[in-house]
Amino acid sequence: MAEWNAYYQNEDEDEEQEEGEQSGDYKVTGRDSLVFLVDASKEMFIKGEDGEPSNFDMTMQVVRSVYTSKIISSHRDLVALVFYGTEQSKNPRNSFKYVYVYHDLDEPGAKRVQEVDALRGEKGARLAAETMGSGETSLGDALWCCANLYSDIKLRLSHKRLMIFTCRDEPHRGDSAKDRQARTKASDLKETGVIIDLMHLMKPGGFDVAPFFRDIVSQPEDESELGLHLEPCDKLEDLQKRVRAKEQKKRAMARLNLCLGEGINVAVGIYATAVTARKPAAIRLYRETNEPVRSKTRTFHMQTGSLLLPSEIKKAQTYGKKQIVMERDEVDSIKKFQDPGLYLIGFKPMEKLKTHHHIRPAVFLYPEEGEVKGSACLFSALLMKCSERNVFALCRCVSRRNYPPRFVALVPQREEVDEGKVQFTPPGFNVIYLPYADDLRTLDPPQCPSASQIQVDKMKEIVSKLRFKYRSEAFENPVIQQHYRNLEALALDMMAPEDTEDLIMPKVDQINHRLGPLAEEFKDLVYPAGYNPESKSVAKRKTAIVGGVAEKKPKAEVPEDELRAHVQNGTLGKLTVPVLKEACKQFGVRTTGTKKQELIDF
Amino acid sequence: CCWDPLVLCMDVGFSMSNSAPGEEPPFELAKKVIQKFVQRQVFAENKDELALVLFGTDSTKNPLDRDGQYQNITVHRHLMIPDFELLEEIENQVHPESQQADWMDALVVCMDLLQTETKGKKFDRLNVALLTDLSTQANQDHLDVIIENLKQAGITLQFFLPFPAEDDEEGGGDSDRRGPGHPGTGKGLSREQKESLDLVKHVMLSLDEEDGLDQVYTFRDAIEQLCMFKRIERRPMAWPCQLTIGSCLSIRIVGYKAVTEERLKKMWVTVDAQSNQKEDVKRETVYCLDDDNETEVKKDDTIQGFRYGSDIVPFSKVDQDQMKYKHDGKCFAVLGFTKQNLVFSWGQHAGVALSALIRALDELQMVAIVRYAYDRRSNPQVGAAFPCVKQDYECLMYVQLPFMEDLRQFTFPSLENNKKLSPSDTQLSAVDSLIDSMMLVQKDDDDADQKDIFKVHHIPNPAFQRHFQCLHHRAVNPGTPLPPMEPWLKAALERPDVISERCQAPLEEIKRKFPLIEVEKKKKLKTSAQIFGKDAEEPDAKKAKGDEEEDYNLADIAEGSVTSVRIRGQLTHRIEQLLSNKNTHYYMKSITCIQAFREQSVKLGNADLYNSYLQSLKRSIPNRRLEVFWDLLVQGMLSRITAGFLSNRPFLERRLHFHIIAAVPSAEDTGDVDDLVCVCDFLAFKYLTDVP
Repeated sequence: MAEWNAYYQNEDEDEEQEEGEQSGDYKVTGRDSLVFLVDASKEMFIKGEDGEPSNFDMTMQVVRSVYTSKIISSHRDLVALVFYGTEQSKNPRNSFKYVYVYHDLDEPGAKRVQEVDALRGEKGARLAAETMGSGETSLGDALWCCANLYSDIKLRLSHKRLMIFTCRDEPHRGDSAKDRQARTKASDLKETGVIIDLMHLMKPGGFDVAPFFRDIVSQPEDESELGLHLEPCDKLEDLQKRVRAKEQKKRAMARLNLCLGEGINVAVGIYATAVTARKPAAIRLYRETNEPVRSKTRTFHMQTGSLLLPSEIKKAQTYGKKQIVMERDEVDSIKKFQDPGLYLIGFKPMEKLKTHHHIRPAVFLYPEEGEVKGSACLFSALLMKCSERNVFALCRCVSRRNYPPRFVALVPQREEVDEGKVQFTPPGFNVIYLPYADDLRTLDPPQCPSASQIQVDKMKEIVSKLRFKYRSEAFENPVIQQHYRNLEALALDMMAPEDTEDLIMPKVDQINHRLGPLAEEFKDLVYPAGYNPESKSVAKRKTAIVGGVAEKKPKAEVPEDELRAHVQNGTLGKLTVPVLKEACKQFGVRTTGTKKQELIDF
Repeated sequence: CCWDPLVLCMDVGFSMSNSAPGEEPPFELAKKVIQKFVQRQVFAENKDELALVLFGTDSTKNPLDRDGQYQNITVHRHLMIPDFELLEEIENQVHPESQQADWMDALVVCMDLLQTETKGKKFDRLNVALLTDLSTQANQDHLDVIIENLKQAGITLQFFLPFPAEDDEEGGGDSDRRGPGHPGTGKGLSREQKESLDLVKHVMLSLDEEDGLDQVYTFRDAIEQLCMFKRIERRPMAWPCQLTIGSCLSIRIVGYKAVTEERLKKMWVTVDAQSNQKEDVKRETVYCLDDDNETEVKKDDTIQGFRYGSDIVPFSKVDQDQMKYKHDGKCFAVLGFTKQNLVFSWGQHAGVALSALIRALDELQMVAIVRYAYDRRSNPQVGAAFPCVKQDYECLMYVQLPFMEDLRQFTFPSLENNKKLSPSDTQLSAVDSLIDSMMLVQKDDDDADQKDIFKVHHIPNPAFQRHFQCLHHRAVNPGTPLPPMEPWLKAALERPDVISERCQAPLEEIKRKFPLIEVEKKKKLKTSAQIFGKDAEEPDAKKAKGDEEEDYNLADIAEGSVTSVRIRGQLTHRIEQLLSNKNTHYYMKSITCIQAFREQSVKLGNADLYNSYLQSLKRSIPNRRLEVFWDLLVQGMLSRITAGFLSNRPFLERRLHFHIIAAVPSAEDTGDVDDLVCVCDFLAFKYLTDVP
């Protein structure tokens, strides 16, 4: 019966495909793995001036954040934490001295997060000293030990990365035999596909990569990559950024040809740079043992009870009281228009890209020189010219087989690096999905009076008081964070989950404080006296659609001088229609209109 | 409550069948118009009720049939929601007939029908669409009464004629402009038609002084416009809320969803192929333990849990609800303001206070970063509210921003700083002229207005169009294959002709200036069976030469630029292909492939590839009922490992320097697959560490 599973697992193919589209070919290629190889020598524990955290402390914070982010966004990845330069040794066959495998390669879990936490701060330093201590250094042995970790894994690994965290540029203090052994082991590792990165940390006198580590780390992806020219990290934020940039394997969601014309195909990869993290689906556990159960879905005939073969079912939809039936493969074939690929339609100036014409997260395009030689050059030329002339390329895009086409705007993005020479925007095209006619809703925007310059200027003051520099990584999703804190608490038998700070909550007190009297001043300019935008009775009225201005019916006389002041300040708009009508009468203006703007225009 | 009842009123009288040679008679065109229209209504699942009145019929069937009045007019269908039955009736029962009837009488029948059948119901507007060639003389006696009644009942009229209502010849007779599409135009009209046309104009202008004549169409124009299936229309829902800045300043706003990726409402349901009944198909989900017997457990015996990395945490729904993130519900709260640079999908409208905010942001080129929650049940988001200042309205456009958890921070190698890749000046100028030739926006000479010749947001979603085209075809032509795509749809998705023409030369230039060479490596590999296929059944001598060559081939590839991942992809793909045939012959071929795979993995120094594949293969064995194959494999592999090292095959010898015979297990170890895997792993690893 098991084989029925195989037939029906694609029943919800649409959803699954879309998921797949987002997450890349992860399932197909195997697990990613990451080994943190951390120097535990005395130098690592030296605290910075003014009580700045030690390099070791900083590293542990980064390791922790990688652990938790892996749990949330890619829990199938394997992570290990290994210390070298320790006094104690702990490794699988205990064949290496001064190497302490704190965590072998495995999926990170609650316990591991807690164990890394234990190594943080003052207490952490003490714990490290007690359990591991600081001793001699043999990076060769450490690397060899890591190689064993990789080979002990029976799972298929796709991406293998090893990050060395150290502040010592000459770990063996000139012992050339040890240096040589480390180089040999490093090259062994690299031959098996492990990428070795150096996360070098600040030490007095600067960190010189040249004498030793240059031969240890992997060659960067291309010669121009800044890799080793980087300055050593001295800030947690920098280190975090550097680690994050490397920690995830970038995977193309799809590799396609960008076709400019017949026979002109540029190979490109499509990358998802923002994938909405969702609360994961629940899994079913057997009540007795808490072990996960597998679910199997079968399709069978109601009357005969026999299982139905794919050939024994069809698909149907009902319209106008008629059931319309198609074969399964017909349902697929309807969706097919062209083979996968991007096809250039033409170019348009950037201002034609309506900012609100946006239907799903943008993806990113980068050339695949390995598929079609010459792609990078033509791609780069297109990028430079589009950017220079401020145009975007309009393309028809079929992202996978049997997918209907969508039109996309390829918006050029030039490379930008920050002061630390870390790239913060990569070079390539942002792919913006454009809406079809069906995706736009016809809105009937109500006519509203415009604000006067005085009102606008007041608001400008408010805006400048509340300016901040937006960073996308600044906002954690409180729903997901809470969920995982809850799980963490349950997994670790904690009394209560750790508090989560809701980062997308407005800091009301701070805002009020910064605004000071501005809020009242603004309200005086725009709202009629006594108007309360929050009052329920107002909200219930039908005029809610127009928003903003409440319209009170009777009682509508304003002293003439007050009225004149309003005219001078351009704040007539805050008066109500009856008031304005009354005012018009007062000034002997004949009115027929009831629209406010008409009244103001008088 | 919001529906628009409509009467389709079609002339089927004998003059409708008249046509010039080679031209479709007006009857056929008119029939197409109503067919297309009804189709659209059916697929849009429009709830507007629809009636069909025919005039010029041989018989008479209408409530006003009295004293020889209102003759040859038939109410074919009363107000009902349109369905396929109606489409079939139009197809099979609406024929040209041999009488003529007064179209004004027919209009009165329609008005009467609307008034009696909508009595007591709520509606937006009543409509009548008249399709006729206006060949009969109309009785004008009660014209004023009729117009007055139309006005009072709020009935709107549409006319569909074989010829255009307005003669464009006033200026100087360029009737060519209309082209041959409109037969019987202008001078060809009979006296009755001319008189009737004047009458039509009179009626329409009395109903709407300015735009009345816009509601008079030709059959051809109508067919063209109706060829698309109706686009999905949803009324935007108002979302009233407060925009807050701190706790002291709030502005009442209303939100509307302006742009959203629309999907088809209906899903495919599974039906039994024989009976076409969905009730005959039952789906059932069962739960089973992950043991060898796949022991089934009842759903009631399962509880809910979640994964926390490697931990699985039981977490009941009740607990989950109690502990989950809760918030105060609906809000649109400003967190702060920042420089503009992003995109969005929501719209707001408001009064003066909001206007001040919008214009302040616009003038400062800034956006508001806000916390937005639709209601208490939905998850809050962080997003940007952009100012949008249009001539006739102002609004904020909201778009969701990613959370930290959503971001993938990738770095990509620099393009510009790479000398090997950077384009030369002549290459850049070739791209320049390409962009010039392919601009989709054209400047008119006269004014500064730019004309966009390819507006994506005017194109109906082709997936929906195709979907309905096929459904419609299957509904009316059961048993025939699905039709090709409609030509207009195909054309709408292509590069406009003007552009194609203009970009020819610049494209040729690009082709010359930028050599693009497809990297061939993949194709060379053919299939692994062709390369590695050493069929046990075939005499070795016969294949010897071929083997030799192909071994070289593989070796070259493996040593060259091909990554181990690719080799694995090719090989495992082939293995899987072979395994789909449950037959010893194919089993043996798969085993040969697996053997080759192992050798390659060893050679590439990456035992993981092979080991992990073998493990996943093993796991899938029970599901795929490949136990026989697995036994063969285990036996075969062990003997081959032994044989492989001893047989001194030139390939291995030359390429691998492989001499770790000591690690080969004895034949008694057969059966335990994990052992097998371990052995291979060990071999591979030894090799890696020991070769200097």
